[in-house]
Amino acid sequence: MSEAAAKFTEDRQRLELAALSAPAVIFTVAMIAFPVVYTVWLGLHSFSSTGKQSFVGLANYSRLLADTEFWHGLWVTIALYVLSLVLQLVFGVWLALVLFHAKRLPGIVRSLFISPFMMPPVVAGMMWLVILDPSLGAANYILQSLGLPPSEWLASPVWVIPTVALIDTWQWTPYVALIVLGGLQSLPPSVYEAAQIDGASAFKTFQRITLPLLLPTIVTATILRSVDLLRFFDIIYITTQGGPGNASNTLNIYGFRVGFEFFNIGYASALMLTLTAIVFGAVLAFNRLRGAVAW
Amino acid sequence: MASISIRNLVKRYGSFTVIPDLNLEIADHEFVVFVGPSGCGKSTLLRIIAGLEPISSGELYIGDNRVNGVPAAQRDIAMVFQDYALYPHMRVYENMSFALELRGTPKAEIDARVKRAAALLHIEPYLGRKPKELSGGQRQRVAMGRAIVRNPKAFLFDEPLSNLDAKLRGQVRAEIKALSQQLKTTMVFVTHDQIEAMTMADRIVVMQSGTVQQYDTPEAVYERPSNQFVAGFIGSPAMNFFPVELRGEQIVFSQDGADAPLDVNSRDLLRKAGHGVFGIRPEHFSVTADAAGAVAVTVRLVEPLGSDTLIHFDLAGASAIARVDPALRPKVGDRLNLRPQPGRAHLFDGSNGQVLR
Repeated sequence: MSEAAAKFTEDRQRLELAALSAPAVIFTVAMIAFPVVYTVWLGLHSFSSTGKQSFVGLANYSRLLADTEFWHGLWVTIALYVLSLVLQLVFGVWLALVLFHAKRLPGIVRSLFISPFMMPPVVAGMMWLVILDPSLGAANYILQSLGLPPSEWLASPVWVIPTVALIDTWQWTPYVALIVLGGLQSLPPSVYEAAQIDGASAFKTFQRITLPLLLPTIVTATILRSVDLLRFFDIIYITTQGGPGNASNTLNIYGFRVGFEFFNIGYASALMLTLTAIVFGAVLAFNRLRGAVAW
Repeated sequence: MASISIRNLVKRYGSFTVIPDLNLEIADHEFVVFVGPSGCGKSTLLRIIAGLEPISSGELYIGDNRVNGVPAAQRDIAMVFQDYALYPHMRVYENMSFALELRGTPKAEIDARVKRAAALLHIEPYLGRKPKELSGGQRQRVAMGRAIVRNPKAFLFDEPLSNLDAKLRGQVRAEIKALSQQLKTTMVFVTHDQIEAMTMADRIVVMQSGTVQQYDTPEAVYERPSNQFVAGFIGSPAMNFFPVELRGEQIVFSQDGADAPLDVNSRDLLRKAGHGVFGIRPEHFSVTADAAGAVAVTVRLVEPLGSDTLIHFDLAGASAIARVDPALRPKVGDRLNLRPQPGRAHLFDGSNGQVLR
């Protein structure tokens, strides 16, 4: 092949490559890059009630550091995150083990076990709002019939975070279980036979074989749930709207209120970008952890 | 160290019977190989000995102990799996020490035993590695090391060489054989490869459809197969078979009525059986200039192996192979006289395949 012909072929291949990847590039720019860049731009500006904008540099971010409501929101977010994540991982692994070993469980029962996460969070929130109603709800009725005092649940500043964490755990534990179940099903059966011959009890097998082998899967579930939990919004918005007072005011709820109730778009953008950075940080940290526990 | 005794063992999966009724005695320190085609029940039998499969009926003894229903962990046996079954998250040292740790063996003793086994198998440099960082042969050695450190009553091997390439397979095969002589422990080895069976075993169990076809030394299984299945399964290339019958006082090939080169004794045996199958191994043909007592064949295909040459030919309607001296340099289309070596031909009952002696 002559040099000119080779160059022509190479140019043509480049053109084809560009043409084929163009839709993906355009989509990425339009749907991801543009909103992020626009939010960064918004976070560097202030907007008056008349819509007039002014460049304020990092003022929104320095305001954030001095904002007690921000620090409170961060604390609520982390508390809800840690509590929900731990509960979902513990119960998710347990449910996965139950489903894995109960091989004769009818399909319909399995589907029922994993159905909550298919429910829209708004519906789940509404449902639990009714169940947890202090005067009419089933939760207090059960407590009282057991001789226990009723609880304020979502109306109690002390109990609101554990209660919201429990609602989220109810909804998302099956999702974690489904991921872990997939991991369990892919584990090599001969390793368990080797453990059996080596003399490992059921507990030792779980502790020394199953759990370490499941760690990469559990970390994957942790990453997926972390992204959701750190952006906790829908169930809180439906059930408490950040209340009572600001007891369940997560960063996401706070940012939403700053932006769409107080119309402070610049500051809300700074808040949201900070939250995004926290989510990214968590994902990166867990991703490294996943590499460390891979086998 | 222990003998293994299997008495009237039956294994069923639902209504499907895998092993109908099996009896077997494996002596202490003996190296026994279970060999047979896929689905013959050899791995199932091994897993039953290991305690990984329950027995439907019958009895199993390891040493003097009846172990029906005894959990695998309490049988004091070690097993090397086909896929090695190493713990992928543990380093080689932990893989080897895990069983001892579970038994509460003191740390110093664990360390000594792991290092001794590692030295024996030449895997000391890999003790700090994870299984994914090892080659197939190294993993195989670790799996054996894991079994050795326990100093068990018996070693069970479930087709442990099948994932290795041909060269490594030969090397590890020799190592296992040497190891068995060094450790002097009862070993049961499952394979579908008859070369592994012949080279390693003190005695071979040839299995088909869950039954023992022959249980004897490699030499006996090769020289004196008890039936046509064993004769065809052991030996490579496989034994040649030709249906024969008695016509008057003449033994002839059933297919074409041509004279079959069998001796007078065969005539008496065939008279009792009615009709039979003449079997001869490829290496038991002699090429001769003299046509007496020989069959004349035309060479259809030549396979030079270096050490010897395989010639393919058709005889009495069957495709057959003879192993000849490579110096002969036979060519396709050549006419050769092949004579069975004296005393090397086998005659099987045409109705049940049992050897006629």
